[in-house]
Amino acid sequence: MKHPDFDIIVVGGGHAGVEAALAASRMNKTVGLVTMDREKLALMSCNPAIGGLGKSHIVKEIDALGGLMAKAIDATGIQFRKLNLSHGPAVWSTRAQADRVAYASFVSDFVVSDRNVTIIEGVAGALITDRGHVAGIETEDGRRLFSRVVILCTGTFLGGLIHVGEKKTKAGRRGEKAAYKLAESLVSLGFEVGRLKTGTPPRIDGTTVDCAKCQIQPGMEPVPFFSHTTAIRPMRQVPCHLTYTTARTKEIITRNLMRSPMFSGQIRSIGPRYCPSIEDKIHRFSDKPRHQIFLEPEGNGTDEIYPNGFSTSLPEDVQREAIRTVIGLEGAVITKPGYAIEYDYCPAHQIRATLETKRIRGLFFAGQINGTSGYEEAGGQGVTAGINAVLKIDKEPPFVLDRAEAYIGVMIDDLITHSTTEPYRMFTSRAEYRLRLREDNARDRLIGYARKYGLVSDDEFEEFKVLQDETRKEIGRLKKTIVPVATLDGLSRHFVRRESISLADLLKVPGVVYKDVEPFLKGDGRPPELNSEVIERASIIIKYEGYIKKQEREVEKFRRMESELIPPDFSFEGLSGLRNEAGEKFGRFRPSSLGQASRIEGVTSGDIAALSIHLMKYRTQSKNPQQKKK
Amino acid sequence: MKRKSQGDPSRDTIAAIITPPGEGGLGAIRISGPGAHSVIERIFRPAESDVSAGRMFHLYYGHIVDVNSGVIDEVTMAEMPEGKSYTGQKQAEIFCHGGRFVLQRILEEIFRFNVRPAEPGEFTRRAFLAGRIDLARAEAVAELVASKTEYSYSAARKNLLGLLSERIEKLRTRAVELIAEIEASIDFPDEALETAERNRLVAMIDDMIADAGELVGSYKAGRIIKEGYRIAITGRPNAGKSSLFNVLLNQNRALVTPTPGTTRDYLTEWIDLDGVAVSITDTAGLRSGAGPIEKAGMASALKILKESDRVVWIADISRKSWRKELTADLDEYGSGHSILMILNKIDKLKDLDKKKGGKTSFSRRGGTAVPISCKTKAGMGALRRALVGRIRDSMPDLTDGIVVTSGRHKRKLENFLRSLKRVRKGIERAISPELAAFEMRQGINEIDEITGRIYNEEILDRIFSRFCVGK
Repeated sequence: MKHPDFDIIVVGGGHAGVEAALAASRMNKTVGLVTMDREKLALMSCNPAIGGLGKSHIVKEIDALGGLMAKAIDATGIQFRKLNLSHGPAVWSTRAQADRVAYASFVSDFVVSDRNVTIIEGVAGALITDRGHVAGIETEDGRRLFSRVVILCTGTFLGGLIHVGEKKTKAGRRGEKAAYKLAESLVSLGFEVGRLKTGTPPRIDGTTVDCAKCQIQPGMEPVPFFSHTTAIRPMRQVPCHLTYTTARTKEIITRNLMRSPMFSGQIRSIGPRYCPSIEDKIHRFSDKPRHQIFLEPEGNGTDEIYPNGFSTSLPEDVQREAIRTVIGLEGAVITKPGYAIEYDYCPAHQIRATLETKRIRGLFFAGQINGTSGYEEAGGQGVTAGINAVLKIDKEPPFVLDRAEAYIGVMIDDLITHSTTEPYRMFTSRAEYRLRLREDNARDRLIGYARKYGLVSDDEFEEFKVLQDETRKEIGRLKKTIVPVATLDGLSRHFVRRESISLADLLKVPGVVYKDVEPFLKGDGRPPELNSEVIERASIIIKYEGYIKKQEREVEKFRRMESELIPPDFSFEGLSGLRNEAGEKFGRFRPSSLGQASRIEGVTSGDIAALSIHLMKYRTQSKNPQQKKK
Repeated sequence: MKRKSQGDPSRDTIAAIITPPGEGGLGAIRISGPGAHSVIERIFRPAESDVSAGRMFHLYYGHIVDVNSGVIDEVTMAEMPEGKSYTGQKQAEIFCHGGRFVLQRILEEIFRFNVRPAEPGEFTRRAFLAGRIDLARAEAVAELVASKTEYSYSAARKNLLGLLSERIEKLRTRAVELIAEIEASIDFPDEALETAERNRLVAMIDDMIADAGELVGSYKAGRIIKEGYRIAITGRPNAGKSSLFNVLLNQNRALVTPTPGTTRDYLTEWIDLDGVAVSITDTAGLRSGAGPIEKAGMASALKILKESDRVVWIADISRKSWRKELTADLDEYGSGHSILMILNKIDKLKDLDKKKGGKTSFSRRGGTAVPISCKTKAGMGALRRALVGRIRDSMPDLTDGIVVTSGRHKRKLENFLRSLKRVRKGIERAISPELAAFEMRQGINEIDEITGRIYNEEILDRIFSRFCVGK
């Protein structure tokens, strides 16, 4: 093989590509980042926001693994909120509006100044392989670049086709090229390639919006930043506005429904159900008189507004007419029309939990190519692929997070055990161990890995150890401090049958917060200035303690199944006792553990019992002593 | 991850009946796993109080007792240490009387102590992993597991089992609907979804509680289908109990050879009555106004009455005072039982007496006695019809026909029911929705262990079909 130009080539400079490149760089590998336009790294193609339910959890995990996304949004956000504060801490979720241009240039500056990363402008046209191993890429203009590992983060650019009404344009984003040759290269290497669809709303000139008619949505104070490295500081926040469609909107869209490529049959691929186009919402929920539209500013230096909830691929003339029926948008001027985009992806049964493809060694996929959607989902995969690419080169054991450890683990496991039916977006309900996987404990869960792979500095690590230690001490103190029930006044009714209780038990009562128990700590050697983070962490752990303990038992059961590994050379063909359907599914997904096998859709417990017996048989025959330890 | 010694993939303690189904003189139960010996400590009492249990490979004689120290059965028991048992784990084996009922009762006691039912082939699986048996035998187990799956698959289409899973499936669908309502309010906080309010959620849960409760309750009927209907014959000494016992046996197809029943003093026989396996136990007599010593002798008979589905109470109609005696006996011992009254020896009545209306009729709480003669077999047809009628009454209505027959399913449904009640309480107290969802998921997990499904995606499907989401 030719001497490689880089250790790793990353194709695509979106949210997955950037995180992959930076992770690899932090682990001291050289990276060639191939992108069509060096000015457009980490561009927000759709809504100018980071976070939201499930997604913010991923951002915090990326942060804990040393990634950039949280820092970037903290530096360039223009409005921050914490969602679900009326519910429990496991489902609290941070969301921020970004200054779209500032976000991209923040990331660009960061990448450009990274000594290990070289930006290469160009369009990847083909993969170069050597005896089942990737060796590099060839650009469409014929440059050949060699590397030991290639990570494809192609986003909507792989075979991208934009639809606006009847009009079709080959493009990865409005006005940008698409990568068609690369898709052909993947097919010729034997990859199964499918097609997905997504969409974006028109953008509006903010000076033509009558905000007085809409409901204002301000940011929150103190500002809930994403990254643990960001210092709390005051900032001027920009409000969003909430408005609604009207009966006229419905009328116009219903009249023009057949001019939408989604309904005319021009687009057959599937779009996300959680982010339907406005025509889809009006059609499917025809009894709803109106739909919410959020008017989100695109940044400080622009008047452009993103009307969240108005994604559409209707023809431009219909978009112009329909948008003016929305309350407050009567005089609105569209700056860029909305569109639908179809693109290629590789169904994710073709990758492992490391994101390496099963077919070509050293080739990794991250982001939309795996059937996901969303900047956060992409970023989480980027970090994972970046780390694993390095480990692959160094011949180290892979980095795999499990479902009880991280949302990133839930996401990747879902991808490799389920057929994609729509672009995959994270929700907290996807995480069965949700009570453990919180924003507040992302670092507790992941710092061990970050440390192991050198993704955090020693100072950061030591600082966090102190925080953990103080949290433990505070929990101990709350458990040890016993107060007579009689002194509790209003709260005593919760403990009618007891004489005294610990402050920890008191804190478990719904509605009771740390402030309520604090007075009882006075004179108990309380440190003068207890960090607010310590207080929050201790309170959450105590409040959830009983539930977490219950969940711990399930986690143990889960991990036992996960540790029943299926050897890579195990043949799923012709296993007796399996139903045909299960046999086919096992063959397609090739699960790497019994646990993973059990999560494949349509598999029954009977199938798993049969599979486990065959596995025992296999182990005995191959004279392998039991399961290999991690 | 922590891992015990090689070949021990599961650290659960498991138990199951290891003798084949059907009646036998002896039944055996095996317990395997780290908790096997401590369970024995809790439920086994050596017959001689000075004997201390705990010696390995020693056959103990004693009793299995329930939590109230009530004796369930007289048994022999042996314990094996880790590394020297069939499964390679700590193990205990209990040998008891062969009746299905006794075995089931003992098993249920065992399950109280953090022991779960063994899956098909699980003992063998553990034995194989511990290197106690060879590959050929493990393969045989694979075949067994496979055929079982195939069977359940085809069975699910046509028999009661299929209807049951359909009903459980419905219950599960509703639980998923409920959880979707809760999850939608968590995952889409910006969307102002019209999710069900507290009252409607509670109503949904109450509906499910009623349904799940009914299924759990049907276990009794299910047990009858699986284990048979239990009839106990009682009455005063010499009323004709044993004659009736014999006549019933001779006139119906006997199912098995005589075996000792749940209590050894009594004879139990199995007959086929209209397609239902019926066990008939001939008990010692009962008599009202008995002295303390006689009463003590009647204790075990009373126990059998309690465990039976129907008590056949026989009276000797040739006795002058039969009416008074029967009334007094029923007053003293009859409450709490489903009783069929029989008036025996009508052959001894003079023709004249028979003709006199009312002489052979006896009613009590709406039940009418059946006059028969064990000697001439007169009235046996009517008796048979009466018995079959009573059995049908206690069987489930077959238009619905849904019964839980497996103890494992009953346990899972009971756990599901408990989760539902916790969710209900939580919603009433306005706990955070993620905690309500957690409880509900635990409940669904229980049901999934019956139907074998995974459901994360399903909840989302449900949310997307019910709510218009998408900013």
